[in-house]
Amino acid sequence: MTQQPCYHCGDSIIGKEINFDGKSFCCNGCKSVYELLSTNDLGAFYTIENNAGTKPKKDDQHKYRFLDVEGIRSKYIHFEDDTSLHITLFLPQIHCSSCIYLLEHIHKLDPRITSCQVNFAKREATLIIKKTLPVSELAIILDKIGYAPNFGNKEQQQKKRNYQYLYKLGVAGFAFGSIMLWSVPEHIGMGDESIGFRKFTSYLSFLISLPVLLYSANDYFISAFKALRYKSLNLDVPIALGIVALYLQSCATIFSGNGSGYMDSFAGFVFFLLIGKWFQSKTYQSLSFERDYTAYFPVAVSKKDGDKEEIVEIEKIIVNDVISIRNNEVLPCDAILLDDSIKVDYSFVTGESIPITKKKGDFVYAGGKLIGKKSDFHVQRKSNRSHLTQLWNETTKKQEVETSGTDSFSLYFLIGVLIVSTVSGIAWYFITPERSVEIVVAVLIVACPCALALSKPFTYGNIMRSLGRRKLYLKNVDVIPSLNSITDIVFDKTGTLTTGSSNQIELVGNKLSLEQKSAILLLANSSTHPLSKSIVRALQHEVSSTDELVNFEEHEGEGILGEINGISYRIGASKFVHSEATSQENETASHVSGNGQYLGKFVFNSEFRSGIMEMLDALGNNYTVHILSGDKDKDKENLMQEVPTLTELHFNQSPKEKLLYIHRLQAQNKSIMMIGDGLNDAGALDAADVGIAISEDIFRFTPSSDGILDADELFRLPYLLTTAAHAKTVLMVCYVFSIVYNLVGLTFAISGHLTPLIAAILMPLSSISIVLISTILTAPKEN
Amino acid sequence: MFLCIMGVIYLMLVVSLIVAIFFLLSFIWATKNGQYDDDYTPSVRILFDDDEPINNNSNSESNGSSEV
Repeated sequence: MTQQPCYHCGDSIIGKEINFDGKSFCCNGCKSVYELLSTNDLGAFYTIENNAGTKPKKDDQHKYRFLDVEGIRSKYIHFEDDTSLHITLFLPQIHCSSCIYLLEHIHKLDPRITSCQVNFAKREATLIIKKTLPVSELAIILDKIGYAPNFGNKEQQQKKRNYQYLYKLGVAGFAFGSIMLWSVPEHIGMGDESIGFRKFTSYLSFLISLPVLLYSANDYFISAFKALRYKSLNLDVPIALGIVALYLQSCATIFSGNGSGYMDSFAGFVFFLLIGKWFQSKTYQSLSFERDYTAYFPVAVSKKDGDKEEIVEIEKIIVNDVISIRNNEVLPCDAILLDDSIKVDYSFVTGESIPITKKKGDFVYAGGKLIGKKSDFHVQRKSNRSHLTQLWNETTKKQEVETSGTDSFSLYFLIGVLIVSTVSGIAWYFITPERSVEIVVAVLIVACPCALALSKPFTYGNIMRSLGRRKLYLKNVDVIPSLNSITDIVFDKTGTLTTGSSNQIELVGNKLSLEQKSAILLLANSSTHPLSKSIVRALQHEVSSTDELVNFEEHEGEGILGEINGISYRIGASKFVHSEATSQENETASHVSGNGQYLGKFVFNSEFRSGIMEMLDALGNNYTVHILSGDKDKDKENLMQEVPTLTELHFNQSPKEKLLYIHRLQAQNKSIMMIGDGLNDAGALDAADVGIAISEDIFRFTPSSDGILDADELFRLPYLLTTAAHAKTVLMVCYVFSIVYNLVGLTFAISGHLTPLIAAILMPLSSISIVLISTILTAPKEN
Repeated sequence: MFLCIMGVIYLMLVVSLIVAIFFLLSFIWATKNGQYDDDYTPSVRILFDDDEPINNNSNSESNGSSEV
């Protein structure tokens, strides 16, 4: 049966669809957003792009309360007067033109919002609101329609907006155009008749090109100088040398009165170099890697001072403070529990999906999410030294092998060029001494490996973008060569090979009546156990309940029971519900009974994503594939049968063991790509040569990963790896082209048939042809 | 005659330089103003229908600095 996707978010509808207004929705959240939008005249949201919505997350509304604290609030507000304030929020969910439409018409949802302006590139919205609307309420409104604001490390990202390179480009372009324009009379021979005019233009050129040398090109000099100081070479050395040589040569011509030199070529050269750089940075900009792990940390917490409770910033919490944490909030620092028993979910830190029970007086580590009633904690350690950050720091920092830009190959080429230019200079000194400088300059410029230097960033940049179109987002271009040297691929199973949150649930046994279902829903809803939550997810589409639950009890490790409409229900292990039915081995199931009568069981299947087996099979041809799992080995047989090449399967692995496993493989000189969901394998992702985090929504970010891959595209991994390998071929073509180019140019230059002017015209031409070649060869093929 | 041509060329040269400097300055001004920050949103925004005049908000909008 093929179903329409959810009208709002476009997800396929699992379970019973919700019909409203002739449209189908996947959940009540999506329906209510639709309702909200259509009653407020914003139906056009759906006509701009189909299924454009973002699924709203049910979350605690308390979490935005910190926004009303003065110290925190002022970080986001940039203008305030008596009646209104201007606030800029980072909304990572902005993804299409419908989002812009909705957000810029948000004033229709609440009259207290005056206007909103979206910056799509930065995924930011600047809102003007009336003072009667608290900022926390604004955040809730945004959250409700699916754009939850993100408050991680805001100040840092805001500061970084550097226009310097654009200014440099502008100055170089200005000089290039101007000098070229007034060189025209000289080039067509007019200047010959008037020494005065020639002198005038040449001095003017000299003046105008000064800022190009000192301002536009200064990055090259700084970089070359740094390299030389550490007694090494980088590609900026010959570029800087070429720039200086060309400039000095031109100056010499100008001041000896022999013409205006090659100032136009000089400015043009710098201009083209900068355009190349700008193109590169544009490529990087289209990837937003702005979030770091601090986005997961709470910004503020409520501190108890006697009977008073106030919200303070995390940084201000000191040892011996008493803080209180609500259900679903993350504990920001190591602390001792002061209240009765609660549960703590460490899934973010350790990957353990089942919450741990903590009793009064227990030590609780930071990073745990509290499940249960609001509790007080006695702070033991300041938040920055906590267990969480330590876990991240524990992972070995990747040594910075910054040979990028100067791979050994172009380095040798570079040394060769320097030697050749010196030798030919000396040789020509003996033939015709006055031409010697000219030859050296011509050699330096024509052989300057800038085409070579451009090959790599352009090719990798293009490959990176074409991978991005397939929803594999790499952190930077340096990941591509690492991708190509991979020998082993390690997969995390749960959440990576299998679907994460939407476990498939199957009801085995008699058909339940609607009344029974709603009772089970109600009962399961009172528990925070992951399996109960799965049951709730499965049933909430079908029924809803207004009945009252009484005598609720939760028995640790056994199950839950409660009374609804006089019938007592039990959900849990088979022993707990007093049934003879036993769970099959390696099966996760919850049994249900009503008034002592066995009703059936829910079986939880973790489902493999589509195309996974084929993918593993295909990868097995070229790589050694490993699978690590924190789970029981219930899928082992299944996997082994489907993918015969698979031999390395390891189950019951803790995050620490996963990390050690990667280290063990690396000790055998293997190059590892780790693919995981980033929740319980962050350490392993970081340790691997390439760590790719699988993401079900693309805005979740894993700090230690080298890239993010959309979960639905995982089956394309072999294709993605081929694309990355393609980079190598294209790079070779570019290298060969630029070397041939350089060699031909060199022969002409050494034999004295090339003036510096022609050389300077040829140089940007070679760079441009490299850009063209690389763009054409890496153009994505339609499948 | 020749001198006349040269005079014009000097003039043109100075004028071209002034024009170029004007463009350079306006480029820097535009960059500083953030006009190159976001090259996507405005292209979408212009296509939205003004399905109704923004009612009763116009007063408060005038004291804000929203540029519409």
